[in-house]
Amino acid sequence: MIRIAAVADIHFGADSSGMLRAQFEDLTHHADMLLVAGDLTKCGGPDEGAVVARELTGLPVPVVAVLGNHDYHSDEQATVRSHLEDAGVTVLEGETTTVDVDGARVGIAGTKGFGGGFAGACGTDFGEPEMKAFVRHTMALAEGLEHGLRSLEGCDVRVALLHYSPVRDTLAGERAEIFPFLGSYLLAEAVDHAGADLALHGHAHAGVEKGVTPGGVLVRNVAQPVIKHAYNVYTFEPSRALHADAHA
Amino acid sequence: MAATGEAPAESRHYIVQRVRQALAHDERTNELDLTVSVNGDKVFITGTVPTTERRDAIAVVAREVLPDHEVHNHVTLYETAEPTDGEDLS
Repeated sequence: MIRIAAVADIHFGADSSGMLRAQFEDLTHHADMLLVAGDLTKCGGPDEGAVVARELTGLPVPVVAVLGNHDYHSDEQATVRSHLEDAGVTVLEGETTTVDVDGARVGIAGTKGFGGGFAGACGTDFGEPEMKAFVRHTMALAEGLEHGLRSLEGCDVRVALLHYSPVRDTLAGERAEIFPFLGSYLLAEAVDHAGADLALHGHAHAGVEKGVTPGGVLVRNVAQPVIKHAYNVYTFEPSRALHADAHA
Repeated sequence: MAATGEAPAESRHYIVQRVRQALAHDERTNELDLTVSVNGDKVFITGTVPTTERRDAIAVVAREVLPDHEVHNHVTLYETAEPTDGEDLS
């Protein structure tokens, strides 16, 4: 069995040290890896990056993360990433990694993602340069995600690790006016085109855990205020994993 | 003339946003995911944050922005227990 622990939006600050350390040290009893879906810090300062890196260093399972919007706020995202990588965390942005679990291979494609909204009510790369830049940022990240997932074909389980949501389903409870700032259908389209077994995201603190892409890929919002635990665990039997075929 | 007592709705509208902006930008909080509502001279704040320090700072920041209002801090803390079981997605 493949056991994937996941959490997002832990928002570490200088006051957070030790908040999750005991639970993370015990991970091996519950999971084979820990995936962190962004917003590891409160506002992305180097000091906060160091605190969360200490929390994640030397854990008994591999740790893979993407950054979230809070991790960019201080314009020190490269430093935050360095702290995490020095602590042994694999940080993905348009990149992929694989984790072996008893001979089965779990492929993870990661990106922060970005906003824009959902089909029928979303931004278009039209008009002012600022609007085009906004939408094109999401388009570029979605393209990288699709490419990454395709490169993982052949893995027993493929996971898209995001911060922003690919679907509206998991935003239920958030105010509809802010949906375009919480995610984009372009991320779901990338997942559906390339195929995956699971898409994880955070960012939507008032949302719900469970959703599905239009193409049928399971989505889980693991924002900590949503899952109300140190992490949630999702399991797959490798021989029965979905292996969603590419649609395109 | 507006009736005495309760502030006009438009004022409440901007007051809510002033508090939300302060809670987002003040480095003691940096919280974007809180709900702020204003009823007369009372301000109610709800949401969930990771630490007691940040929960307490929310009230401090809000009172600095609105010294003439009564701030009710109903923010709760993250729950961080280990899960008891997993979800089978096979």
